[in-house]
Amino acid sequence: MRESHLKILQYITATGIFFLVGLHLIVSHLSSGEPTDWTSVAQRATSAGWLAAYILILLFGIYHGMHGIRGLILELSLPNRAVKIMNWTILFIGIAVFGYAVYIPIQAF
Amino acid sequence: MEKLTFKVQRYDPDKDKKPYTQVFTIPFKHGMTVLDGLIYIKENVDNTLSFRSSCRMGICGSCGMLINNLPMLACHTPIEELKKDTITVRSLPNFPIVRDLVADLSLLFEKHKSVKPYIIAPDMAEAEKPTAEFLQSQLQLEEFVQFAYCVKCGLCMAACPTVATDKHFLGPQPLAQACRYSADRRDGGAKQRFQQADTPHGIWLCHLAGACSEACPKGVDPALAIQLLKRAIISDDLRLLKKRVPPSVAQPQAEKKPKVAVPEFTIKRPGAKS
Repeated sequence: MRESHLKILQYITATGIFFLVGLHLIVSHLSSGEPTDWTSVAQRATSAGWLAAYILILLFGIYHGMHGIRGLILELSLPNRAVKIMNWTILFIGIAVFGYAVYIPIQAF
Repeated sequence: MEKLTFKVQRYDPDKDKKPYTQVFTIPFKHGMTVLDGLIYIKENVDNTLSFRSSCRMGICGSCGMLINNLPMLACHTPIEELKKDTITVRSLPNFPIVRDLVADLSLLFEKHKSVKPYIIAPDMAEAEKPTAEFLQSQLQLEEFVQFAYCVKCGLCMAACPTVATDKHFLGPQPLAQACRYSADRRDGGAKQRFQQADTPHGIWLCHLAGACSEACPKGVDPALAIQLLKRAIISDDLRLLKKRVPPSVAQPQAEKKPKVAVPEFTIKRPGAKS
Protein backbone atom coordinates (compact mmCIF):
# COMPACT_ATOMS: atom_id res chain seq x y z
CA MET A 1 0.00 0.00 0.00
CA ARG A 2 1.32 3.40 -0.92
CA GLU A 3 2.16 5.89 1.81
CA SER A 4 -0.32 8.38 0.40
CA HIS A 5 -3.15 5.84 0.74
CA LEU A 6 -2.27 5.34 4.41
CA LYS A 7 -2.17 9.11 4.83
CA ILE A 8 -5.59 9.54 3.21
CA LEU A 9 -6.97 6.98 5.69
CA GLN A 10 -5.26 8.94 8.47
CA TYR A 11 -7.12 12.10 7.40
CA ILE A 12 -10.43 10.23 7.06
CA THR A 13 -10.08 8.63 10.51
CA ALA A 14 -9.14 12.00 12.04
CA THR A 15 -12.32 13.54 10.65
CA GLY A 16 -14.34 10.51 11.78
CA ILE A 17 -12.91 10.70 15.30
CA PHE A 18 -13.72 14.41 15.46
CA PHE A 19 -17.40 13.85 14.66
CA LEU A 20 -17.90 10.59 16.58
CA VAL A 21 -16.15 11.78 19.74
CA GLY A 22 -18.12 15.02 19.38
CA LEU A 23 -21.32 12.98 19.23
CA HIS A 24 -20.21 11.02 22.30
CA LEU A 25 -19.46 14.23 24.20
CA ILE A 26 -22.82 15.77 23.32
CA VAL A 27 -24.83 12.67 24.25
CA SER A 28 -22.91 11.52 27.32
CA HIS A 29 -21.70 14.76 28.86
CA LEU A 30 -23.58 17.80 27.55
CA SER A 31 -27.15 16.66 27.07
CA SER A 32 -29.78 17.02 29.79
CA GLY A 33 -31.12 13.96 31.57
CA GLU A 34 -29.08 11.10 33.03
CA PRO A 35 -26.90 9.79 30.18
CA THR A 36 -24.71 7.77 32.57
CA ASP A 37 -27.72 6.20 34.23
CA TRP A 38 -27.85 2.38 34.00
CA THR A 39 -30.99 2.38 31.86
CA SER A 40 -29.57 4.99 29.47
CA VAL A 41 -26.31 3.04 29.11
CA ALA A 42 -28.23 -0.22 28.57
CA GLN A 43 -30.47 1.48 26.02
CA ARG A 44 -27.48 2.73 24.03
CA ALA A 45 -25.73 -0.61 24.31
CA THR A 46 -28.67 -2.39 22.70
CA SER A 47 -29.08 0.14 19.87
CA ALA A 48 -27.68 -0.89 16.46
CA GLY A 49 -26.82 2.74 15.62
CA TRP A 50 -24.77 3.18 18.80
CA LEU A 51 -23.10 -0.21 18.25
CA ALA A 52 -21.99 0.97 14.79
CA ALA A 53 -20.79 4.28 16.26
CA TYR A 54 -18.78 2.53 19.00
CA ILE A 55 -17.18 0.16 16.53
CA LEU A 56 -16.31 3.03 14.21
CA ILE A 57 -14.77 5.08 17.05
CA LEU A 58 -12.72 2.03 17.97
CA LEU A 59 -11.64 1.35 14.40
CA PHE A 60 -10.80 4.97 13.64
CA GLY A 61 -9.03 5.49 16.98
CA ILE A 62 -6.90 2.36 16.66
CA TYR A 63 -5.95 3.06 13.03
CA HIS A 64 -5.15 6.71 13.76
CA GLY A 65 -3.08 5.88 16.84
CA MET A 66 -1.19 2.96 15.30
CA HIS A 67 -0.38 4.92 12.16
CA GLY A 68 0.86 7.79 14.31
CA ILE A 69 3.13 5.44 16.28
CA ARG A 70 4.43 4.01 12.99
CA GLY A 71 5.27 7.56 11.83
CA LEU A 72 7.28 8.15 15.01
CA ILE A 73 9.17 4.87 14.66
CA LEU A 74 9.90 5.52 10.98
CA GLU A 75 11.92 8.58 11.97
CA LEU A 76 14.44 6.37 13.76
CA SER A 77 16.26 5.66 10.46
CA LEU A 78 15.64 1.93 10.72
CA PRO A 79 16.92 -0.41 8.01
CA ASN A 80 14.32 -1.65 5.50
CA ARG A 81 14.04 -5.09 7.11
CA ALA A 82 13.33 -3.56 10.52
CA VAL A 83 10.70 -1.28 8.94
CA LYS A 84 8.96 -4.33 7.43
CA ILE A 85 8.96 -6.13 10.79
CA MET A 86 7.66 -2.97 12.48
CA ASN A 87 4.87 -2.61 9.90
CA TRP A 88 3.67 -6.17 10.43
CA THR A 89 3.96 -5.89 14.22
CA ILE A 90 1.88 -2.71 14.25
CA LEU A 91 -0.72 -4.28 11.97
CA PHE A 92 -0.89 -7.36 14.19
CA ILE A 93 -1.19 -5.31 17.40
CA GLY A 94 -3.88 -3.11 15.82
CA ILE A 95 -5.98 -6.07 14.70
CA ALA A 96 -5.53 -7.84 18.06
CA VAL A 97 -6.56 -4.73 20.05
CA PHE A 98 -9.54 -4.14 17.77
CA GLY A 99 -10.62 -7.80 17.98
CA TYR A 100 -10.41 -7.78 21.77
CA ALA A 101 -12.09 -4.38 22.25
CA VAL A 102 -14.91 -4.89 19.77
CA TYR A 103 -16.01 -7.97 21.69
CA ILE A 104 -17.43 -5.85 24.56
CA PRO A 105 -20.01 -3.74 22.65
CA ILE A 106 -20.98 -6.73 20.50
CA GLN A 107 -21.56 -8.88 23.57
CA ALA A 108 -23.57 -6.09 25.22
CA PHE A 109 -25.71 -5.81 22.09
CA MET B 1 32.88 47.51 17.89
CA GLU B 2 36.57 47.59 17.01
CA LYS B 3 37.55 43.96 17.38
CA LEU B 4 35.70 40.79 16.50
CA THR B 5 36.07 37.39 18.09
CA PHE B 6 35.60 34.53 15.66
CA LYS B 7 35.07 31.13 17.26
CA VAL B 8 35.69 28.84 14.33
CA GLN B 9 35.22 25.10 14.16
CA ARG B 10 38.41 23.31 13.13
CA TYR B 11 38.69 19.71 12.05
CA ASP B 12 41.29 17.84 10.07
CA PRO B 13 40.20 14.20 9.60
CA ASP B 14 43.85 13.11 9.30
CA LYS B 15 44.86 14.60 12.64
CA ASP B 16 41.81 15.23 14.82
CA LYS B 17 39.45 12.74 16.39
CA LYS B 18 36.65 15.27 16.64
CA PRO B 19 36.04 18.92 15.76
CA TYR B 20 37.31 21.61 18.15
CA THR B 21 36.94 25.39 18.34
CA GLN B 22 39.73 27.88 17.62
CA VAL B 23 39.39 31.53 18.59
CA PHE B 24 40.59 34.37 16.36
CA THR B 25 40.47 38.09 17.08
CA ILE B 26 40.34 40.31 14.02
CA PRO B 27 39.71 44.01 13.36
CA PHE B 28 36.17 45.05 12.42
CA LYS B 29 35.40 47.09 9.33
CA HIS B 30 32.08 48.73 8.54
CA GLY B 31 30.01 46.62 6.10
CA MET B 32 32.02 43.47 6.76
CA THR B 33 30.35 40.10 6.21
CA VAL B 34 31.14 36.84 8.00
CA LEU B 35 32.85 35.65 4.80
CA ASP B 36 35.04 38.78 4.83
CA GLY B 37 36.06 37.86 8.38
CA LEU B 38 36.94 34.31 7.37
CA ILE B 39 38.92 35.55 4.35
CA TYR B 40 40.80 37.96 6.65
CA ILE B 41 41.68 35.07 8.97
CA LYS B 42 42.85 32.92 6.06
CA GLU B 43 44.94 35.70 4.50
CA ASN B 44 46.43 37.21 7.66
CA VAL B 45 46.20 34.83 10.61
CA ASP B 46 45.95 31.14 9.65
CA ASN B 47 46.17 30.02 6.05
CA THR B 48 45.23 26.43 6.93
CA LEU B 49 41.60 27.40 7.59
CA SER B 50 39.31 25.70 5.07
CA PHE B 51 35.96 26.99 3.90
CA ARG B 52 34.05 27.12 0.63
CA SER B 53 33.12 30.35 -1.16
CA SER B 54 32.86 31.59 -4.67
CA CYS B 55 30.57 34.42 -5.81
CA ARG B 56 30.49 36.49 -2.55
CA MET B 57 27.01 37.74 -3.43
CA GLY B 58 24.57 34.98 -2.40
CA ILE B 59 24.21 33.45 -5.84
CA CYS B 60 26.38 30.34 -5.87
CA GLY B 61 25.34 28.94 -2.47
CA SER B 62 28.87 27.70 -1.64
CA CYS B 63 29.45 29.39 1.70
CA GLY B 64 26.62 27.86 3.73
CA MET B 65 27.64 27.46 7.37
CA LEU B 66 26.22 27.54 10.89
CA ILE B 67 26.68 31.12 12.07
CA ASN B 68 25.73 31.82 15.69
CA ASN B 69 23.75 28.54 15.62
CA LEU B 70 21.71 29.43 12.53
CA PRO B 71 22.37 28.10 9.03
CA MET B 72 23.27 31.08 6.82
CA LEU B 73 25.33 32.03 3.81
CA ALA B 74 28.52 33.65 5.15
CA CYS B 75 28.67 36.13 2.25
CA HIS B 76 25.06 37.15 2.84
CA THR B 77 25.44 37.81 6.57
CA PRO B 78 26.68 41.28 7.53
CA ILE B 79 28.36 41.19 10.92
CA GLU B 80 26.48 44.33 12.02
CA GLU B 81 23.19 42.47 11.57
CA LEU B 82 24.30 39.79 14.04
CA LYS B 83 24.63 42.56 16.68
CA LYS B 84 27.38 40.66 18.49
CA ASP B 85 31.14 40.97 18.55
CA THR B 86 31.57 37.24 19.11
CA ILE B 87 30.73 35.08 16.12
CA THR B 88 30.58 31.32 16.24
CA VAL B 89 31.08 29.60 12.90
CA ARG B 90 30.64 25.87 12.37
CA SER B 91 30.08 23.62 9.38
CA LEU B 92 26.51 22.84 8.36
CA PRO B 93 24.80 20.31 10.62
CA ASN B 94 23.15 17.16 9.15
CA PHE B 95 26.13 16.78 6.79
CA PRO B 96 29.48 15.04 7.37
CA ILE B 97 32.49 17.37 7.69
CA VAL B 98 35.20 17.24 5.04
CA ARG B 99 37.48 19.70 6.83
CA ASP B 100 37.00 22.75 9.12
CA LEU B 101 33.92 24.55 7.71
CA VAL B 102 33.56 22.45 4.57
CA ALA B 103 30.54 20.14 4.71
CA ASP B 104 30.14 17.14 2.42
CA LEU B 105 26.99 17.94 0.44
CA SER B 106 27.05 14.79 -1.73
CA LEU B 107 24.03 13.34 0.12
CA LEU B 108 22.05 16.47 -0.80
CA PHE B 109 23.01 16.12 -4.46
CA GLU B 110 22.16 12.40 -4.48
CA LYS B 111 18.72 13.07 -3.04
CA HIS B 112 18.29 16.01 -5.41
CA LYS B 113 19.13 13.78 -8.39
CA SER B 114 16.69 11.10 -7.22
CA VAL B 115 13.64 13.35 -7.77
CA LYS B 116 14.56 13.87 -11.45
CA PRO B 117 15.09 17.65 -11.26
CA TYR B 118 14.64 18.32 -14.96
CA ILE B 119 11.81 18.64 -17.47
CA ILE B 120 10.58 15.24 -18.62
CA ALA B 121 8.94 16.07 -21.92
CA PRO B 122 5.52 14.47 -22.47
CA ASP B 123 6.09 14.53 -26.23
CA MET B 124 9.54 13.13 -26.93
CA ALA B 125 9.30 13.75 -30.68
CA GLU B 126 8.68 17.45 -30.08
CA ALA B 127 11.36 17.58 -27.38
CA GLU B 128 14.00 16.01 -29.61
CA LYS B 129 13.13 17.92 -32.75
CA PRO B 130 11.34 21.07 -31.57
CA THR B 131 9.26 22.79 -34.22
CA ALA B 132 8.86 25.98 -32.16
CA GLU B 133 9.18 27.25 -28.60
CA PHE B 134 6.70 26.21 -25.87
CA LEU B 135 4.33 28.90 -24.71
CA GLN B 136 4.00 29.59 -21.00
CA SER B 137 1.74 32.24 -19.52
CA GLN B 138 2.81 34.48 -16.63
CA LEU B 139 0.31 32.65 -14.40
CA GLN B 140 1.75 29.26 -15.31
CA LEU B 141 5.27 30.55 -14.60
CA GLU B 142 4.19 31.86 -11.20
CA GLU B 143 3.08 28.35 -10.19
CA PHE B 144 6.73 27.31 -9.77
CA VAL B 145 9.08 30.26 -10.30
CA GLN B 146 9.60 30.86 -6.58
CA PHE B 147 10.93 27.32 -6.17
CA ALA B 148 13.25 27.73 -9.15
CA TYR B 149 15.40 30.23 -7.24
CA CYS B 150 17.03 27.39 -5.24
CA VAL B 151 20.85 27.60 -5.26
CA LYS B 152 21.42 24.16 -3.65
CA CYS B 153 23.26 25.66 -0.69
CA GLY B 154 21.93 23.00 1.70
CA LEU B 155 20.83 25.47 4.40
CA CYS B 156 17.28 24.07 4.42
CA MET B 157 18.60 20.53 4.87
CA ALA B 158 20.82 21.74 7.73
CA ALA B 159 17.88 23.48 9.41
CA CYS B 160 15.40 20.60 9.01
CA PRO B 161 14.70 18.75 12.29
CA THR B 162 13.47 15.67 10.41
CA VAL B 163 16.68 15.38 8.37
CA ALA B 164 18.49 15.55 11.72
CA THR B 165 16.59 12.54 13.07
CA ASP B 166 16.12 10.50 9.89
CA LYS B 167 19.06 10.41 7.49
CA HIS B 168 16.92 8.62 4.89
CA PHE B 169 14.34 11.45 4.78
CA LEU B 170 14.43 13.11 1.36
CA GLY B 171 14.50 16.57 2.87
CA PRO B 172 13.17 20.01 1.94
CA GLN B 173 15.46 20.80 -1.00
CA PRO B 174 14.73 17.69 -3.12
CA LEU B 175 11.03 17.82 -2.25
CA ALA B 176 10.80 21.49 -3.21
CA GLN B 177 12.49 20.69 -6.51
CA ALA B 178 10.09 17.78 -7.09
CA CYS B 179 7.28 20.30 -6.64
CA ARG B 180 8.99 22.85 -8.89
CA TYR B 181 9.36 20.47 -11.86
CA SER B 182 5.98 18.77 -11.36
CA ALA B 183 4.24 22.17 -11.41
CA ASP B 184 5.89 23.11 -14.69
CA ARG B 185 3.41 22.89 -17.58
CA ARG B 186 6.13 21.71 -19.96
CA ASP B 187 6.78 18.66 -17.77
CA GLY B 188 5.17 15.23 -18.01
CA GLY B 189 7.10 13.41 -15.27
CA ALA B 190 5.04 14.34 -12.21
CA LYS B 191 3.96 10.73 -11.54
CA GLN B 192 7.59 9.54 -11.46
CA ARG B 193 8.41 12.22 -8.92
CA PHE B 194 5.29 11.45 -6.86
CA GLN B 195 6.45 7.83 -6.59
CA GLN B 196 9.87 8.98 -5.43
CA ALA B 197 8.38 11.31 -2.81
CA ASP B 198 5.60 8.97 -1.68
CA THR B 199 7.76 6.51 0.31
CA PRO B 200 8.10 5.73 4.06
CA HIS B 201 11.04 8.17 4.22
CA GLY B 202 9.46 10.62 1.82
CA ILE B 203 7.22 13.62 1.96
CA TRP B 204 4.90 12.45 4.76
CA LEU B 205 7.65 12.66 7.37
CA CYS B 206 7.66 16.46 7.05
CA HIS B 207 6.17 17.94 10.24
CA LEU B 208 5.95 21.42 8.78
CA ALA B 209 8.36 22.89 11.31
CA GLY B 210 9.08 25.61 8.74
CA ALA B 211 12.78 25.84 9.66
CA CYS B 212 13.70 25.27 5.99
CA SER B 213 11.76 28.31 4.84
CA GLU B 214 13.26 30.48 7.56
CA ALA B 215 16.77 29.40 6.66
CA CYS B 216 16.45 29.78 2.88
CA PRO B 217 18.50 32.80 1.76
CA LYS B 218 16.66 33.01 -1.59
CA GLY B 219 13.07 33.04 -0.29
CA VAL B 220 12.25 29.71 -1.92
CA ASP B 221 9.90 28.58 0.90
CA PRO B 222 10.44 24.81 0.67
CA ALA B 223 7.76 24.25 3.36
CA LEU B 224 5.15 25.69 1.01
CA ALA B 225 6.46 23.54 -1.86
CA ILE B 226 6.17 20.43 0.32
CA GLN B 227 2.57 21.27 1.23
CA LEU B 228 1.73 21.83 -2.45
CA LEU B 229 3.38 18.53 -3.37
CA LYS B 230 1.42 16.72 -0.64
CA ARG B 231 -1.78 18.16 -2.07
CA ALA B 232 -0.80 17.14 -5.60
CA ILE B 233 -0.02 13.56 -4.51
CA ILE B 234 -3.31 13.19 -2.60
CA SER B 235 -5.26 14.76 -5.49
CA ASP B 236 -3.56 12.38 -7.90
CA ASP B 237 -4.52 9.40 -5.69
CA LEU B 238 -8.12 10.52 -5.48
CA ARG B 239 -8.18 11.27 -9.23
CA LEU B 240 -8.89 14.92 -8.45
CA LEU B 241 -5.87 16.26 -10.26
CA LYS B 242 -6.93 18.14 -13.34
CA LYS B 243 -5.67 16.62 -16.55
CA ARG B 244 -2.82 18.72 -17.82
CA VAL B 245 -3.27 20.38 -21.15
CA PRO B 246 -0.08 19.67 -23.11
CA PRO B 247 2.03 22.80 -23.49
CA SER B 248 1.08 24.72 -26.55
CA VAL B 249 3.70 25.32 -29.14
CA ALA B 250 4.14 28.83 -30.50
CA GLN B 251 2.74 29.55 -33.93
CA PRO B 252 5.37 29.56 -36.69
CA GLN B 253 6.65 33.06 -37.32
CA ALA B 254 4.94 34.96 -40.11
CA GLU B 255 6.98 35.43 -43.23
CA LYS B 256 9.25 38.40 -42.97
CA LYS B 257 8.01 41.53 -44.63
CA PRO B 258 10.22 43.01 -47.35
CA LYS B 259 12.44 45.80 -46.07
CA VAL B 260 11.09 49.31 -46.51
CA ALA B 261 13.07 51.14 -49.12
CA VAL B 262 15.27 53.86 -47.64
CA PRO B 263 14.36 57.27 -49.10
CA GLU B 264 17.03 59.13 -50.93
CA PHE B 265 18.76 62.08 -49.29
CA THR B 266 17.07 65.34 -50.14
CA ILE B 267 20.34 67.26 -50.01
CA LYS B 268 22.93 65.89 -52.30
CA ARG B 269 26.42 66.09 -50.93
CA PRO B 270 29.02 67.20 -53.43
CA GLY B 271 30.92 64.22 -54.75
CA ALA B 272 28.36 61.69 -53.47
CA LYS B 273 27.26 59.00 -55.85
CA SER B 274 23.74 59.59 -57.10
